[in-house]
Amino acid sequence: MRYFRHPGFLIGVILLTLLLIVAVAAPWIAPMSPLETDLANTLAPPSAAHLLGTDQFGRDVLSRLIWGTRISLQVAVAVMALSLSLGMVIGAVAGFFGGWVERVTVSIIDILLAFPGFLLALALVAARGSSLESVIIAVALAFTPRVAAVMRAVVLTIKPRTYVEASRAIGMGTMRLLFLHVVPNSLPPVIVVATVSAATAILAEAGLSFLGLGVQPPAPTWGNVIADGQSFLASNPLISLSAGICIAVMVVALNLLGDGLRDTLDPQMRRSSGRVL
Amino acid sequence: MPNHPMPNLHPVAPAAPIAPATAPRPVALELRDLTTVFPGDDGPVTVIDGVSLAVRAGGTLAVVGESGSGKSMTFLSALGLVATPGRVRRGEVRIDGTDILHQPPERLRRLRGAVISMIFQDPLTALNPVFTIGEQIVEVLRAHQRIGRAAARARAIDLLARVQIPDPVRRVDDYPHQLSGGQRQRVLIAMAIALSPRILIADEPTTALDVTVQAQILDLLADLQAETGMALVLITHDLGLVAKYADDVAVMYAGRLVETGSMEEVFTRPRHPYTRALFRSIPRLDGPVDEELPAIEGQPPNVARLPPGCAFEPRCTVGRGRADCCTRRPLPLAGDRSGHRSACFHEDLPDRKEAAR
Repeated sequence: MRYFRHPGFLIGVILLTLLLIVAVAAPWIAPMSPLETDLANTLAPPSAAHLLGTDQFGRDVLSRLIWGTRISLQVAVAVMALSLSLGMVIGAVAGFFGGWVERVTVSIIDILLAFPGFLLALALVAARGSSLESVIIAVALAFTPRVAAVMRAVVLTIKPRTYVEASRAIGMGTMRLLFLHVVPNSLPPVIVVATVSAATAILAEAGLSFLGLGVQPPAPTWGNVIADGQSFLASNPLISLSAGICIAVMVVALNLLGDGLRDTLDPQMRRSSGRVL
Repeated sequence: MPNHPMPNLHPVAPAAPIAPATAPRPVALELRDLTTVFPGDDGPVTVIDGVSLAVRAGGTLAVVGESGSGKSMTFLSALGLVATPGRVRRGEVRIDGTDILHQPPERLRRLRGAVISMIFQDPLTALNPVFTIGEQIVEVLRAHQRIGRAAARARAIDLLARVQIPDPVRRVDDYPHQLSGGQRQRVLIAMAIALSPRILIADEPTTALDVTVQAQILDLLADLQAETGMALVLITHDLGLVAKYADDVAVMYAGRLVETGSMEEVFTRPRHPYTRALFRSIPRLDGPVDEELPAIEGQPPNVARLPPGCAFEPRCTVGRGRADCCTRRPLPLAGDRSGHRSACFHEDLPDRKEAAR
């Protein structure tokens, strides 16, 4: 498999596979319940019973992180699926058909892009109430205009290519041109945007949870763990730090995966790819 | 190409034979008064102006002219492929006597590829880089026919063999970047003839290829034409290719037709001063070594600002400054019974020796 000759891609895949296993197997590998409090043993340092110590309610930090992987992955996958499908359709239609459809769409995208994505998500969560679904919907809607803008730009570069015109000249219809030529050739840059947006979605979920607007405590999310540990950064830095490392690892893994996909999906880059991590 | 006795596959009486009647074959494609305009700053700009042409089944028509003279645009217009905001303002495109331009878009799409097909200048960019050549041929077939993937793939291999790609069973799974330029043009020809069209338009099919490959590609087109009896339109600015492969010639200048006729007629007795100048500007092996090659003075005109009279008048050694050439447009293509026609008031006058300004 040519994909696995790309070291960055390989590392990304291994890390994400590990995270996926952790998420799926959480009930079995977590040493204890992420919600069980032990008020006699709060803010404990790492020990054999609690490898990463406990938080201010005596909950096992490692177990909370393991369960938190589930929520983070769920957010990443759902946001990516939602914003990709919406954004690609909107961008492709705007770029390929042009005319007033494009002018209206581009205006809307520009207006939405004028808001910082996190602010938009914040406003949407505030309007819908904080829950896992509203975090996903809010972050996905915040990213859709980005995907759509990239998709439209890419489609505009593909539309005038000779192979599109040549196919039109031998009788291919609009839908066939769209799905044979335009969409496959636009995938590499859009996939890169998608993985970056998945990584940013995880950050956004953590950020919203940290601010108390995301998934509500006591649910174990990485953002909640950071928020819980924030007051004890001086005495017990391991609580926030370990959650921060989890977030960083997942974001890096997604970015490596995105870069690897971009390099390997493009047949012209197949031989030159993979040197630089 | 010339002198291939072809059976009359499509016995339809030619409506108005414009090409010389050198062979009793029916007209496959006829353009009548085709006119294409693009919006400009000062109103619409006519980029194709009243072009009327005909190609016979099994015959080869060469369309020659400078870059920007409207050769390609004429046939993009004929296929209904003018990019917006351009549009065909007037005229008809008849295939076997039926006008195709005013058909609904979906019917016109089905005609493209199946009845009239086109290949382009640059084979390096005319294939989609992310699919194998086999997949791309399969898609052409599936755009027109109800055909299963396995059957379509078998057809694709047949087609690759027909365009003389060696080892087609293996090459069918190659990506475009694994093929040479000449092989890619063969693949594009395979796609264009996949549905046995009656007319193939080849828009400078060898300009991007080197000279040895050029001859192979044109010989391939000639062979395919001999097998199928399709009409071939060869858009080119290489007069050597015209002499070798064409039956008829049409010369274009500034979006207008200036001369048409059989290849022999036009080459031995060019009438329009532009055609004559074109032939003079070809280097000859037996010509004087120390003389400068005659070039046509001046620049091709901007079609947005054509002179009121003949478009060639400012560069013409015969008509420059003449009252009629400056004020009236020559009627398109008056000519004799042989079908050799040219659009010039003074085609009987000799070229003046003086250099143009």
